Amino acid sequence: MNTKAKKDLPLGTTETYSTMHKWLQRALFVCLTCLVIEGAFTLPGIAIWMGWPTLSLQQICSELEKVRYSDDSRECIYPYPLFGPSEGAGQTTAKDVWGIQPKPLYRRIGFRDLVRFRDERLARQAAEKKKQTEAPDDGTQAPVAAPAP
Amino acid sequence: MTTLTKSAGFGGYDAHQIASQAAQRRADYWMISGTLLMGCAVLGLIGLPLFFRGIWLQSQAAKAGLTMRPTIVTLIGYLVIIDSALNSIGWTLDLFAHHTLINRVLTTGWGAMFDGGYFWHYNELWLGGAGAPGEKAWEISLIPVLFCARMAAAIGLLQMKRWGQQWLIVTCWMGMIVWFGYNTNMTIFADVRYSHITFPVWGWWLYDIWYITPFLSLPYLHTVNREIFSD
Repeated sequence: MNTKAKKDLPLGTTETYSTMHKWLQRALFVCLTCLVIEGAFTLPGIAIWMGWPTLSLQQICSELEKVRYSDDSRECIYPYPLFGPSEGAGQTTAKDVWGIQPKPLYRRIGFRDLVRFRDERLARQAAEKKKQTEAPDDGTQAPVAAPAP
Repeated sequence: MTTLTKSAGFGGYDAHQIASQAAQRRADYWMISGTLLMGCAVLGLIGLPLFFRGIWLQSQAAKAGLTMRPTIVTLIGYLVIIDSALNSIGWTLDLFAHHTLINRVLTTGWGAMFDGGYFWHYNELWLGGAGAPGEKAWEISLIPVLFCARMAAAIGLLQMKRWGQQWLIVTCWMGMIVWFGYNTNMTIFADVRYSHITFPVWGWWLYDIWYITPFLSLPYLHTVNREIFSD
């Protein structure tokens, strides 16, 4: 009998399970470390992925709502009334394939996509506004069908 | 390795016990401080070195011949507390603080990246928060029942109490049921959970695999010599 090996075992560990306990301990170390590092980086990581600091947290919140409900007019109300109804209650714009197992149809959000979505929307809105204001001045009008003889 | 110091003479055993308790308490102060910070998620990087300092102190004291808690018991106890704390943060935010700005960025952002259940029709349910099928039931049942019980059991285990070991076995088996039940729910409603998500399925597993604490704890808790835990 190897008395030295037996003597070196941790309290409560028998020789039969010593290898398993050793590997469990290593896995526990890895799990704890990864869990803590992941927990520490989750909030800043998500904020950066979603567009911070280019976008403020409230702007990120608004952009997420626009994607979620497929509605460019959504804005993140903050601070939200304490006993107000849920912000999305009664909305009718979100897109899904409805059924017993519904399937959402919102857009996938890649790295800094919310910044791009916002820039594109603002450019689109500015172009539409410009078009509306310039239309009467340049004398061009929508073609009108010639009157019937 | 934990051994009894061969203190000779009258009162040697008592002196050894007192020195061991003091050393364990000193190490635990570091580990408790670290765990409090690590359980807050974002402060984890400050807590981790404090925790490892405690582990190192415990190991040094054991090497010096004092009777210390086995390292694996220490790791299981504190990991269960951290796991429960981190789970509780996310789910409590979703359950009670669903309209706060931080939650609407953190939770729905996380949902858009890893789990559509936290993005799909979010804050539309009258209760607020996630509206994915079954999700609210998991939150309401697991926060007060499972996570609180697991934390209490882990504290008992760290105090080397028999009830701590027994209750950690019970709550780790509950954790197993949660893992199987939760993943089955996610699989059945996979379209809601993973459609148009940045990192679907593999991303969720990569993010959540570190919460497999019950799977690592149970083999030890069932094979350890339970006589080391006192009544």
